Amino acid sequence: MILHVDKINKSFGSRQVLKSVSLSCDKGKVNGLIGPNGAGKSTLFRIIFDLIRPDSGTVSVCSTSNKPLGGFVDKPALYGYLSARDNLRVFARLQKIDLRIEHYKELMELVGLDALRDDPVKYYSTGMKQRLGLAVSLMNDPECIILDEPFSGLDPFGNRSFQNLIRELARTKNIAVLIASHNLYDLGDLCDELYIANQGEIVRQGNATDLFHMASISYRIYGDLFFQSNTLKQLGAEISEGNALVIPGKEGIEAVICNIIEEGCSVSACIPQTSLELLLQKEFP
Amino acid sequence: MKELLAVELFKIRKQRMTFYGLAAVLVLVAFIMVSAFFQGRGFLDIMLKNIQDSFEFQGDLLNANLIIYLVLNSLWFHIPLILMVVVSGFLTTEYKDGTVEAVLLHPVSRWKFITSKYLATAIFTILLVGILMMATFISAYIFFGGGDLVVFLDGLSFYESGEALRRLFGAFLSGIFIALFYAVAGLTLAVLFRESTITWIVSAFFLIVTTMLLKYDFGWSVLNSYFFPKLIDSWQYFFYYDIPFNTIWIKNAVLFGYTILFALTGIWIFNKRDIKP
Repeated sequence: MILHVDKINKSFGSRQVLKSVSLSCDKGKVNGLIGPNGAGKSTLFRIIFDLIRPDSGTVSVCSTSNKPLGGFVDKPALYGYLSARDNLRVFARLQKIDLRIEHYKELMELVGLDALRDDPVKYYSTGMKQRLGLAVSLMNDPECIILDEPFSGLDPFGNRSFQNLIRELARTKNIAVLIASHNLYDLGDLCDELYIANQGEIVRQGNATDLFHMASISYRIYGDLFFQSNTLKQLGAEISEGNALVIPGKEGIEAVICNIIEEGCSVSACIPQTSLELLLQKEFP
Repeated sequence: MKELLAVELFKIRKQRMTFYGLAAVLVLVAFIMVSAFFQGRGFLDIMLKNIQDSFEFQGDLLNANLIIYLVLNSLWFHIPLILMVVVSGFLTTEYKDGTVEAVLLHPVSRWKFITSKYLATAIFTILLVGILMMATFISAYIFFGGGDLVVFLDGLSFYESGEALRRLFGAFLSGIFIALFYAVAGLTLAVLFRESTITWIVSAFFLIVTTMLLKYDFGWSVLNSYFFPKLIDSWQYFFYYDIPFNTIWIKNAVLFGYTILFALTGIWIFNKRDIKP
């Protein structure tokens, strides 16, 4: 275990933003922290980075490296008036690293940016800034990277490639990754472990697949001729052209699909619909 | 610390704000010269009307030394204001862009980061006053030429060209302490308020109050002698007939003490407080 957060409490004035929050990260694993806006995710990350101090609780980092933690909070903050190389130079020099051209090119290649571009980063797109922010975080080989909303502002292609990059970093470089997002689908495929935060508390934690499975009570079925299915009508499914949203009940989704195929419908896909509202509840119904 | 200071100086060199500050100083010098060229002679004639028959002046009194003296007067308000705005911007823009946080996400100690900012500010301030001095001396001598200096300080004083030059040079060196004080105060206000507009307003207010209190009688000799608003006139003492070097040294030393105190306060607050509430 590289990072362990134990019973952190934090208040701003009379408002308690974190209530006895605990979590941990292992090397080579991607951990997700999901919660709506205002759940306390960024505050927790700032406490982990020692930018703000908790009222109580501890943050333990088990590392002997020069830079145990890397990452960004809110969004990657860069010097807009400097080029990508100058930004990396500044952050390298702060850490007493001599950023050679080979190392610079290697970092830029790793995050998928053009090393030859030399205009100020204020002209970069959001996705490019996210990637450059990740490059800054990866300098000096941190053992754990902590990324706050890294997918915000990314298009679906950028989102997918950024997810692949993070997954690869965890697997190949054995880095522990902790990512926060308010979007369930950003973290669904990516994380090994999930922490669900709501109103300053961790309301649920566990294996990502298990949690998603438990919180998937409805399914969107894609196919044709759903209007002629009595099974879907009896279940009160929302039927539209080419798809239907159904809550299968006790018989399970497999039985529903068998029934509607017998009724002459065709089925091409079935996607579980995970409910964030359900995940945010302390107890599943 | 060496690396942090080098990074801070690099950032100052790369920021447009730095060059706007320098440009403002040079425009101020140019404006004073143009004003003096068109209106200075009339003003001098009025001032010297009663004594022109009794004294003989060497050369034109509207000369480089008088122009340099007029530029020195910008140390009361204009230069400190430009300095406070630019210097506080070095930190408030970092708060706005989130780069203070970004730096501290790396293994960089808070007190070293902010101390390097104060040191870089001091270097920038000395350079700015140096550039102001060079630009003023060179351009004034090119456009107006040398001559005797006339100043009005409790009464009219006249200094021969060589003597005037020595006094003006000393006044500029003394002005560095004043500029340093205001620059450091500006940065400390930025540490306190973090937001640029609020910091600028408070800086301007601080400057106005300090200038007003210079002539205010506190009724207590210690305050009248050593409270910081009373120390911002050291450069003017170079234009008394007998230069009170002892007073100038004491004023500058105490003002430098205040500068250190303001810097230490800023460092302590930055170290103690959450980076983002």
